Amino acid sequence: MGIAACLAGTAAVIPVAILSSRNAIVVQSANPEDVHVADGVFVSDYFDLSYRVPDGWTEGLPGPSPSQSGYYVLGTWVPKRDFGGTVLIVAQDMFFATDASDDLKNVVAEIRKVMSSVDGMTIDREPEPVNVGAHPGYRVDFSGVGLFRSVLAIEIRCHVVTFNLTSRDPESLAALVKSLDDLESARKSADPVPECLKDYASENTLRQVEPEHIGTRAESIPVRVVVATDGSVKHVHVIRASAAQRRTIEQAARQWKFKSHLKQGHPVEVETGMRFNLKPANM
Amino acid sequence: METSNVARARMIARFTAISLGSVVWSAAALAQGAAGANTNATAATNAGAANTNAANRNAANSTAATTNAAATSTAAGRGGPTDPGVRGGDPGAGGPLQGLGDVEQQFFQASKQVFEEVDAVPEGLGPRFNLDSCAGCHAHPTVGGSSPPTNPQVAIATAAGAKNTLPSFITANGPVREARFVRNPDGSPDGSVHGLFVIAGRSDAPGCNITQPNFAAQLARNNVIFRIPTPLYGLGLVENVPDSALQISLAANAQQKRSLGISGHFNINTNDTTIARFGWKAQNKSLLLFSGEAYNVEMGITNDLFQNEREGDANCQFNATPESVTPLQPADTGSPAGNFQNDIELFSAFMRLTAPPTPAGSPAAPAAQAAGASGQTTGTAGQATGSATPSAAAASTTSTMMASAAADISSVMAAAAGSSAAQPSSSATSGASVTRGSQVFSNIGCGLCHTMTFTTAKSQLTGQSNVTVQPFSDFAVHDMGSGLADGVTQGTANGNEFRSAPLWGLGQRIFFLHDGRTADLNVAIQQHASRGSEANTVINNYNMLSQSDQQSLLNYLRSL
Repeated sequence: MGIAACLAGTAAVIPVAILSSRNAIVVQSANPEDVHVADGVFVSDYFDLSYRVPDGWTEGLPGPSPSQSGYYVLGTWVPKRDFGGTVLIVAQDMFFATDASDDLKNVVAEIRKVMSSVDGMTIDREPEPVNVGAHPGYRVDFSGVGLFRSVLAIEIRCHVVTFNLTSRDPESLAALVKSLDDLESARKSADPVPECLKDYASENTLRQVEPEHIGTRAESIPVRVVVATDGSVKHVHVIRASAAQRRTIEQAARQWKFKSHLKQGHPVEVETGMRFNLKPANM
Repeated sequence: METSNVARARMIARFTAISLGSVVWSAAALAQGAAGANTNATAATNAGAANTNAANRNAANSTAATTNAAATSTAAGRGGPTDPGVRGGDPGAGGPLQGLGDVEQQFFQASKQVFEEVDAVPEGLGPRFNLDSCAGCHAHPTVGGSSPPTNPQVAIATAAGAKNTLPSFITANGPVREARFVRNPDGSPDGSVHGLFVIAGRSDAPGCNITQPNFAAQLARNNVIFRIPTPLYGLGLVENVPDSALQISLAANAQQKRSLGISGHFNINTNDTTIARFGWKAQNKSLLLFSGEAYNVEMGITNDLFQNEREGDANCQFNATPESVTPLQPADTGSPAGNFQNDIELFSAFMRLTAPPTPAGSPAAPAAQAAGASGQTTGTAGQATGSATPSAAAASTTSTMMASAAADISSVMAAAAGSSAAQPSSSATSGASVTRGSQVFSNIGCGLCHTMTFTTAKSQLTGQSNVTVQPFSDFAVHDMGSGLADGVTQGTANGNEFRSAPLWGLGQRIFFLHDGRTADLNVAIQQHASRGSEANTVINNYNMLSQSDQQSLLNYLRSL
């Protein structure tokens, strides 16, 4: 593609959300949107999260497909019998966010700022550091028109994962927040978590292959790739594209070659983001 | 179409009669509403429309039932809020933009006359078509609006001797509709408009024997989707909102949007990469393109933009093509600018020069107000635009859009309290309820997609530069889930995605959603929730509200 792979953002390296301190492990082939619920437990292999849904709650309507900026609705839960509340878990890819979603504190501060500007909305709890399960993060609470809400944000694999809790009363909201104490690791694989690095491709690409020109319009497609310790492409995740676009991008991306990434002298896997600029077939 | 002035006058007279009919209907609604009856004329109309569209809406409701059963049952269990119904009284729409110069106002009047023209085969109608005039579809509450209470498609089916069979989805009290087939017979994507009617049998189309599509068979295959007319008021101002302002708006409040499951993107025009913003999927880049395509697709009239007949049957070609072209001799339109314009240019001019609709009780402040030349003055009460540059102004207004909501509507309703403008019901006349409704609108997240305020760029038109407009749309497309999905891809909007419908003028609309499946505002809100919809959490919030707050939201929306 020539310089068709438009690298997301600048070459700055984002602090890595490595879960090694917890010995956290994931299934390498999982993508952020690959979640499932079994026996009342929500599981995300990619984010290494396991959340037991509160008793009396059930899955709500699923959300949309991943967005062009790497935004995922991972799951929604509602009470079985009444409109007593909502639990919404979402994730935003920090590589492709259209705003500055690179710092948890700023993310929560921005929520506080926006909510305080909403007519009739009150900030009930100023942003403060919290732990969500074993993950350090930030929390802010606010309420308006009889709805009490809490947003808790953590960072996993260069994604901002937020738990958005809503209830009709503060007591029920507190119970929902407490339910997050049971957040656990999914622990399904012995493979290490790749180090997530923004713009790794900008300085470390040894071979790039242009995807086939397809379709009738030019499009920029967000893609995450996992680079193996030998520099080959281990996994390709085309975040939002048609089936045909997905095929041609995967076919090309798997032929890319990168420099090995060394950490403390040892090669480690890297996860990074790229944009593939597809051109129409008639160009 | 080169229509003589006499013929134009005759056609305009015919349309005026239709238009007056709708005014009488609105007045009746007003009278009964003022009497305090719960079942006012508006409500009766709603019920009629609902009944006549029962089959379609039942299908929609069956989807909702599977996706949102709890919502429906719980709301019903609590009694549920009630749609106040179509707001009667002064339409407050259909006139020219405030501040236009004399020549521009003449141009508006000339363009409006052509927009109201009724065409027959000699003027280019057909061979396949949906109606015979622009203003027939865009009729309520005035010319330029949306579907009228009495569907003119019923009468046109057999006009001039035609023997068209009325498709089951076209009814006397239902919405004006166009039909699109989702797939071709070979299974490949279709998505195009299939004209409801043919000119065969008409006295002005001798020898033409083509037949209508077999809609019954296509319906049996679940291969038909519908679209109703979009209101056209204020679109010139929308056209003049800079792309940068829309982009800033969509990016604004990103964290709040994420906390509710909302993302969205623009339908980008491929070659020039600017934002398309017109039509149910924001599929049309410009008003001129919108006009040219509709002229050919809806009326079958070829023109300077769409020059070829869609139906090629040789026995049904009665005119040289394109049928509507730029006149080489000046017409007598009453406007120097209009005399050399072709029809689609005049249609565009009508849309471009028509004022936005006026909210309830607002004495002379439609949903746009000219700022000073410097762009420093305020728009509606309590709202500062505060920037001389469009992008900066957009950023400013977007960031304050929710905070200003209550201030805006407070001023509107304060005016309403002393106004003779009709209100749909006693509860809806409560300024406090509407003010509360605006708070609810902002708090639960409606305003994140139905974005309230933008500022236009510098305009060629007098008094239209740096104007604050309140279309209540971000003009982005959002995934609306399986319940609303129509399976039709247009540009970068896929089969699940629709543009956030601009809510200005909503108080006077009869039919809701892209296919007009309901005339009940509460149902329309609930239909935003289904598998995959970005609106699911916002609708959850709505369902968590007290019934009083739900009612306030409906009252607020009907005040727009």
